[in-house]
Amino acid sequence: MNPTERPPGRGPAGEESAMKLGLPTEDERLLAELSALLDLADPMPDDLTVRTRFALELEGLDFEVATWKRDHELVGVRGTTAPNTITFTVGDLTVMVSLAPAGNGNRFDGWLVPGGPHAIEVRVQGEDSRTTNADEGGRFALEDVPKGITQIVVHLVEQSGQRARTVVTPSIML
Amino acid sequence: MSDGEASDDAPWWELKDYARHAACLIAARGGDKEALNALVVDLSPLVWHVARGQGLERTIAEDVVQTVWMTLLRNLNAVAEPRALARWLIITTRREASRVRGGRDRIEPLADETIEKLRSEDGLPEEETLRSDRDRVLWQAFNRLNRKCQELLRLTVLAGRAEYDHVAEQLMMPRGSIGPTRGRCINTLRGFLSEEGGMS
Repeated sequence: MNPTERPPGRGPAGEESAMKLGLPTEDERLLAELSALLDLADPMPDDLTVRTRFALELEGLDFEVATWKRDHELVGVRGTTAPNTITFTVGDLTVMVSLAPAGNGNRFDGWLVPGGPHAIEVRVQGEDSRTTNADEGGRFALEDVPKGITQIVVHLVEQSGQRARTVVTPSIML
Repeated sequence: MSDGEASDDAPWWELKDYARHAACLIAARGGDKEALNALVVDLSPLVWHVARGQGLERTIAEDVVQTVWMTLLRNLNAVAEPRALARWLIITTRREASRVRGGRDRIEPLADETIEKLRSEDGLPEEETLRSDRDRVLWQAFNRLNRKCQELLRLTVLAGRAEYDHVAEQLMMPRGSIGPTRGRCINTLRGFLSEEGGMS
């Protein structure tokens, strides 16, 4: 039983110190333990702020953020190796990229659906961007993309040849 | 008045809490990358825990954290109240988490088998880092809770932290009357703890 609930509202000045939520003492103690445990068992990954800052170093602010398709069979498995196929989507656009080791990095073979001569930019932290254009069918390839924190940017081209939307992914480690 | 409001004229790096967020956001609108980076460093852990509280796997939560910040970058001028940036982030994170889950599953209600499936998929990613039996038992018990309880307790815990004191109310925002539910969640956690052989 937990009879002594008080509203959680506390002023921004914080009259009460940490873990004073107005709960019974034994509940407060358990939650304090849980608080410490969350940082131990489920910490934010060390490199996430670095990857986020890299993802934010975009030129121009007019973009849509794509969603990586994470294969449920593969994610969450400890000690995963680098993926050999990555896929992202936004709206009706799907982009698949298969990776093959080449030199010190990877060869990218990609396919945009629906197809079109869209411009592809692969940003890798600390490296020059690699860019190419897809063919009419949406196929593209990039040799020797360095490994590292990677973000893919797609500049969609309309049939008139004019640039339409820009799509960006969250960064991932490849 | 919070202690983050020493002076409206102070640069963002001398400010705290609301005032710091507001000053950073305003500086970021003017193109100050360092101010934006400071926000990322300060507030990403909050976004992370809110995303994880939504039941997202760690890899998906990583994408969501970045997506939330990129969404902010696109909307620097659209955040109506710079001082309420943390609230904007919390709301945007919950919305994005819900969008990413899409039709894959619903937030609630969760059938028992769904919970079992989520548990086995999500795993206990950092379990090897838990050295003490007590930590391991408590973490296992916590992961047996349904998603709603896990989120509620995560947000409760965050709201109780000194560094998020100024956004505590926003963290508890999702439910109108959470008290009885939270009490049940804590009691369920205690029950699981006993079953796992830990003292509650």
